Amino acid sequence: METRRLKVIAASTIIFAAMVLLVVAGIRKTSIRHFSPADLVVNAEAADDQNIQVDGVISEGSSTWDAANFKLTFAVREREGTETVNVIYEDRLKPDNFNDGGSVFVEGKYDAGKNLIVATKLQTKCASKYEGAESATDMEGYE
Amino acid sequence: MLIDKIVNSIQQVTAELGQAAIWLSVLSAVWAIIALIIGLQQKNAKCLQSGRNAVIATFILISIATGTLIFGFVTDDFSLRYVEKVSSAAQPLLYKVTALWGQMSGSLLFWLWILTVCSAIVVWQNRKAKDTLSDYSLIPIVIVELFFIVLVTGLIYGIHNPLERFPNGLSYPDGQGLNPLLQTPSMAFHPPTLYVGWISLTVPFAYAVGSLASGRISSEWIMRSRRWTLFSWIVLTVGITLGGHWAYQELGWGGYWAWDPVENVSFLPWLLCTAFLHSVMIQEKRNMLKLWNILLITLAFQFTLLGTFITRSGIIESVHAFAETDTGGYFLGFISASTAGVLGLVVYRWQRLKSANRLESLLSRESAFVLNNWLLVGLTLIILWGTLWPIISEAIQDKKAAVPEAFFNQVVIIPGLLLLFLTGAGPIISWKKITPNNFRRMFFSPLVIGLIAGVLSWLFLAFRANASTEAEDEAVVQVSDVAVTAEVESTTLFESIWSFVTFGEGSIPIYSVLCVFASVFVLVAIFNEFYRGAKLRAKRHPTSLLNGLWLLIKRNKRRYGGYIVHIGIVIVYIGIMGSKGFFQLESKSLHLGDSMQVGDYRFTLIDTYQEEHGNYIRIGLTFDVEKDGKHKATMKPARHYYHTTGQGEDNTIESAIHNIGMNDLYIALGDIPANINDGGVVNVQIYHNPLIKLVWIGIAAMVIGGLVAIAERQEYKPRPLRA
Repeated sequence: METRRLKVIAASTIIFAAMVLLVVAGIRKTSIRHFSPADLVVNAEAADDQNIQVDGVISEGSSTWDAANFKLTFAVREREGTETVNVIYEDRLKPDNFNDGGSVFVEGKYDAGKNLIVATKLQTKCASKYEGAESATDMEGYE
Repeated sequence: MLIDKIVNSIQQVTAELGQAAIWLSVLSAVWAIIALIIGLQQKNAKCLQSGRNAVIATFILISIATGTLIFGFVTDDFSLRYVEKVSSAAQPLLYKVTALWGQMSGSLLFWLWILTVCSAIVVWQNRKAKDTLSDYSLIPIVIVELFFIVLVTGLIYGIHNPLERFPNGLSYPDGQGLNPLLQTPSMAFHPPTLYVGWISLTVPFAYAVGSLASGRISSEWIMRSRRWTLFSWIVLTVGITLGGHWAYQELGWGGYWAWDPVENVSFLPWLLCTAFLHSVMIQEKRNMLKLWNILLITLAFQFTLLGTFITRSGIIESVHAFAETDTGGYFLGFISASTAGVLGLVVYRWQRLKSANRLESLLSRESAFVLNNWLLVGLTLIILWGTLWPIISEAIQDKKAAVPEAFFNQVVIIPGLLLLFLTGAGPIISWKKITPNNFRRMFFSPLVIGLIAGVLSWLFLAFRANASTEAEDEAVVQVSDVAVTAEVESTTLFESIWSFVTFGEGSIPIYSVLCVFASVFVLVAIFNEFYRGAKLRAKRHPTSLLNGLWLLIKRNKRRYGGYIVHIGIVIVYIGIMGSKGFFQLESKSLHLGDSMQVGDYRFTLIDTYQEEHGNYIRIGLTFDVEKDGKHKATMKPARHYYHTTGQGEDNTIESAIHNIGMNDLYIALGDIPANINDGGVVNVQIYHNPLIKLVWIGIAAMVIGGLVAIAERQEYKPRPLRA
């Protein structure tokens, strides 16, 4: 009777531990630092040559789209500030909603010397009126 | 003209009528709660009936409110704030109606309306009930209704009453229009389907609470709410799929799932609902897990609200993050209060929640169910943790972190494969304790055939990997940050095991091989179940095997419907394995006449075209697709340029998708320059997505299985408690 109980407890503990391990290992291996452009200016050293995520707005007038070379360059600006970081995004379509002043999430490797992110992922959302569209819950009121 | 005048004069009063209905529903909901409580306490049938009537009255009032808002949409009443914001005169009728849930205040009203429909159905279902379980259960439903009613009255700062007019008789000639991205059939049906799935989960939750409150903690509440749970599960499955399908068709990134916070929170209630559907069987058969079941359905219900909270409050930064209104706070408050209420009831009924039986062996069907529950709840928590990690890390480390897709793709693999294995092992392992005989009879052939399939797939992948290293000139661009890489490298066993443990590169073969092994194991196990059962039936009523199969399913829809769902799950896994693990992507700038190669296919840009539609122009390109020099398909991707830009994009990617067997070729285009016919270049992104069609087919099978299972009517028969 008691050994059976013990077995159940042992098995549950093992499963639980394995799951915790999975999460901890997964987070350690994949999670990256997130910065706003202003944070990044302060922490440039620490972020150098690291994969990071930056979010801000697309700096007005900064973006150029080189269709022949399939290359997008632009600067991400601090939402309520002037600090910027440059971004290169190659060989991917420019996402929908990529407009001056629009919100943007950039993921990629940071080069502190050039203040440049070579982006592997770029996601946008509209600064003002656009309501996320992926699921029912995004239907958010915004005045 | 006369009609216009009539519509005009009706418009003058409809919104006010709707608003009045919302306010009256506050009274009817409060009355329902009071009457039900008093009726139950004093065993007063008249009072109970009055409570039930008030539930129906609430339903009618909210229907009137919703109806008047829809009337406003259909008749283009742009004096209504909400209508002006999400609709426009040129919008097709379908999208005028679906604009109802285009933004928050309308969504809340819609949510509330569905909930009142559910409550009315509960009243109707129990019109002949001889006990009071359903009356107990109506109370929590109406409390949830009241929460939403208060939100839509417009009393709360930050949320307008959806029927509110602009001040001072102001009206606009036209509205801003619904975001064009939402103007597709999938998007018209995706949000309401998810809503219905989430909201209907309120009913089983309410039955659990009702059972606690009434003190009769048998399996009765489970039986009475079984079809509701199954209904939620089916609808959630469809709703989530519609979202993925929409993303695949509309967004142009060639995928269907990106582990975005908003997607995650829609998936979590589904996982919990799946766990619940399994764990209740243990309670019915073995009278165990009573407390667990109540907690599980409570969790599932709270997660539907939590999803709303996470996405509304803006605490998580996501591409679909939202304006930061105070709504999130109200949701969090309601979640906390209602959870505290349930926990209070649990403590109050503690003595009656004890299990009558215990697990007898770790290798038994009970254990398989428990493991299934652990894994599903574990997955839920893992995904929740990953979703919330950005906030948690900021709080505990003072460093903000981001959790990329890669995290989720990695952590779900092992629990996911274990769950897949259980899909076959659960149905064939014996109750109480596995016996050598049971093992030989049920497990032998599935295991052996599964192993053979696994080895064959290993050989196939190794062969393919070698072939692809030889053909090096066709470099494959890898996009995904999925840990598994698209290109398969041949690895030694040790390296594979190492990368299996470390999530290293080249880990795809071993996961794929395990997936093939488990899939075939499950298919054989379930096939055996059907075959044995059908043969027995065919023998008993002398008839054909096929007829025997029909009889078998008809007699036990719940069980065999479940098995059909399991088959669907296997098919989905294979589809995910192919499309996530082995897709290919190429991007290139093309002139008219240029070609590009993706995998075995050659795409040549041969022509351009332009079409006028109601509220947009379609400008597209024509591609000729060849394989080994033979024409395979003509594909016509495009972009739509909208005349009224509404609140979102003025042009959208319209991908072209072509099926070849179970695989898809998928073309998405960048902006099409005006000089495309005179030497201009257009950016083209082409995907080859292997086996992706199986994802949709598998889900269809899951839904069919669910429908078979829901067809079974089960009456509650108290079973003698076994010690």
